[in-house]
Amino acid sequence: MRHRGRGLAAIEYPTGMNLGGDPSQAWIKIKPDGRVDVFAGTVDIGQGSRTVHTQIVADALGVPYDWVTMDVSNTDSSPLCTGTFASRGTFIGGNAVRVAAEKTREALLAIAAQEMEVDPNDLEVVDGEVRVKGTPTQKLGVDEVAGAATYAYGTIVTGSGGWMKPASEPDPETGECDPHAAISYAACVAEVEVDDETGEVVVTKLIQAYDVGKAINPTMVEGQIEGGGAMGIGLGLLEQAYPYYPTLEHRGDRFGHYLMPALKDTPEYVNLIIENPSADGPFGAKAIGEMANNAQPPAIGAAIHDAVGVWITEMPATPERVLRALDEREQRAPRRDGKWLIFDDDISITAVSSNGGDGFIHVSLPAADVSGSGGGGAAGPRRPDPGDPGVARGSPA
Amino acid sequence: MKAVGARFPRYDGLLHVTGRTRYVDDFKVPGMLWCRTLRSSIDSGRITRLDTSRAEALDGVYAVLTHEDPDRNVVGHLEDLGVPPDMPLLAEDEVRHKGQLIAAVAAESEERAQQAVDMIEVDYEERQPFLDIRKAFDPDQPQVTPDGNVYFYDPYDHCRVRKGDVDWAFEQADVIVKGCYRPQAIEQAPIETQAALAIPEADGKMTVHSTTQAMYFSMGIVAKFLGVSLNQIKFVGGTVGGGFGGKVDTAVEPIAALLARKARRPVKYRSTREEEFLALWTRAPWHIEIADAVSRDGWILGRRTLTLHDAGAYTGFSAYGAMKHLHHSAGAYTIPNVFMNSYVVYTNHVPTSAMRGFGVTSVSFAVETHMNRIAGELGISPWELRLKNGNRIGDLTPTRVKLEDPSTVPTILACADAAGVELPSEYAQMTPGERSGELLPEHLEDQLGKADAWRNR
Repeated sequence: MRHRGRGLAAIEYPTGMNLGGDPSQAWIKIKPDGRVDVFAGTVDIGQGSRTVHTQIVADALGVPYDWVTMDVSNTDSSPLCTGTFASRGTFIGGNAVRVAAEKTREALLAIAAQEMEVDPNDLEVVDGEVRVKGTPTQKLGVDEVAGAATYAYGTIVTGSGGWMKPASEPDPETGECDPHAAISYAACVAEVEVDDETGEVVVTKLIQAYDVGKAINPTMVEGQIEGGGAMGIGLGLLEQAYPYYPTLEHRGDRFGHYLMPALKDTPEYVNLIIENPSADGPFGAKAIGEMANNAQPPAIGAAIHDAVGVWITEMPATPERVLRALDEREQRAPRRDGKWLIFDDDISITAVSSNGGDGFIHVSLPAADVSGSGGGGAAGPRRPDPGDPGVARGSPA
Repeated sequence: MKAVGARFPRYDGLLHVTGRTRYVDDFKVPGMLWCRTLRSSIDSGRITRLDTSRAEALDGVYAVLTHEDPDRNVVGHLEDLGVPPDMPLLAEDEVRHKGQLIAAVAAESEERAQQAVDMIEVDYEERQPFLDIRKAFDPDQPQVTPDGNVYFYDPYDHCRVRKGDVDWAFEQADVIVKGCYRPQAIEQAPIETQAALAIPEADGKMTVHSTTQAMYFSMGIVAKFLGVSLNQIKFVGGTVGGGFGGKVDTAVEPIAALLARKARRPVKYRSTREEEFLALWTRAPWHIEIADAVSRDGWILGRRTLTLHDAGAYTGFSAYGAMKHLHHSAGAYTIPNVFMNSYVVYTNHVPTSAMRGFGVTSVSFAVETHMNRIAGELGISPWELRLKNGNRIGDLTPTRVKLEDPSTVPTILACADAAGVELPSEYAQMTPGERSGELLPEHLEDQLGKADAWRNR
């Protein structure tokens, strides 16, 4: 029989490499006809950062979008970018091209001020024209300024810059540090149908809301939401490199053995974009890249519970796991011990390790010590003082 | 402000859908050789003999690469950040996982290269693999490294986050909910497998066409294996093909470059899909235990977590990922008292690596499933539990960063609206700003309220 269920998850995700210290750089030059070349090392392997960066440069410089082309092709002509990962492309790479565009605009205004015999502070760049503020009829085209720079002044209109969140060192005792450039948020509602005879789960609808600070390109944000949604369904329901982890049995070496979501597995999408701007982001942007596959697996898990009353805690929720959970519902019911409600005892470290996991600092007392007490003391760490450096093991790096 | 916010089509979208975009594997140059690799057939063991002589003698074979060829055979992806390098590019005296690279061949065709690979003789002395991270400290288990099965974060064998007084929270709690969460390993599975074409130029430079996600990062790694400066290499990146984290690992570029140097011919190494699945790196499996101290009315007073991250056979990016995981173990919520530990455990699985959401995908699954269990136990709606404990402006993260623009509340309310969920007015009218006095119990004001008040406590 098929059962319907609905589940909710809410998540957050950081921008940039954890602990920071990951720079991106860019440089820009303007050709004699005013067209703009942007160089950055931010390789675009399909995520679309080159389009987003072009949009940022167009507005930061004040020229039409189609005047700007961007080259991210190689390390000889393009300056450094730490890389396309850690959800850093729009925010850190985007800030780098923004800073470079602002520097280029300054250089452009300096030439224009000489040509127009006005103070550069009285000038602005709008739609490819350098205009005197308040007197828009007094203007020069960016192409005219760039031409003058090249042929009248013998120079180049160019600018370069970079952006980085300075590195933060975590306190080894407390972990205190400032690890991220910004934090994005998302919430996801999954609606599912669970077949209690086959264990098959079908996601019928995903409602997803993402705070991206500012959607530089809403179409591409929606693309990330839906693409991430499909990937999240793969994580939540289908994909596993070791089907019988931790054993090595039945590893798949081709797509026929390793199931990934196909178009028929994708549900109805409701995409919601929230814009709660980040103070440091380019035009207020945060990030969406990686986080777009994080909220669906727990939302699907909650929906399965809503539908058939079992928790799947070993993601993905394959038909085998769902059926097993239904079969073992009684044996795997949570254990009550005083004020403790203990789920998943049978898969915990203490249950599986031959020495009870001695060596790890536990999140609870072993069962023998908990039983009967039930009081606040049960929360105590297993070791007398986990802050004691005596628990350190291994040889120093 | 005309371009920002506009729905421009992506610059290369039309090229992609009409098949005119070139994958890195589409690049060919005259005289190009092809690479195939010899990889470990066992999960763990000593290499007792490696003989490449028959392969080298085969017609059409231009170079055979072993651990003796790189200037440095052990380069750590994060060694510049203080993570000690441990993984050899080409195995020398032992293998720690099935699929570990032992030798590579450059030949006139892929078929000939594979023929040569099949002629390389290797003998092993097999060991029992270590596989279950929960048994990392068990005395009866095999040791993956000479230093044991756990990565050492100076000064502990784990990294930690501590905030507030977690013992107080667990004493105060009406209910303590504990659970275990085990998100599994998956493949990055990009549409183009990892590929590189290395071209030795006439002036002595090396041009490397690469599928990398990080040209400068990969160039730095290759420079170390070759023992040259950064201006002796030019990386050319791709324009499509995906990555999802798996192409941060610089796996094929050093092999292509070293073979090209040795053969003095351009060499292309495109990993096979089987290599991608069985030998190249996966998303890590995790084991996460969470115990939350909660009040009957739905405040999360404290959280203890214990995370084990399966690094596979070598450190890779694991030290980084397990720490990032820890820094986000409160999820989108403000929890005043936390005690969190994260361990990186070595196993004889394939080394694990970055993948979309690195470190945090696992914690999102664990924390959110746990939140739903807490809601069920307390009989509180999962919407209200989340809104109540959600991040607000001025709250402190577990690592004591003051939040400036959190959106737990707006994203949840947007979903509630779209899902037709009716919330009580005190929740429906919430903003990302301060908690309302009504919802905030007086005795928790210090902790759940303003960041500075808690910090100075």
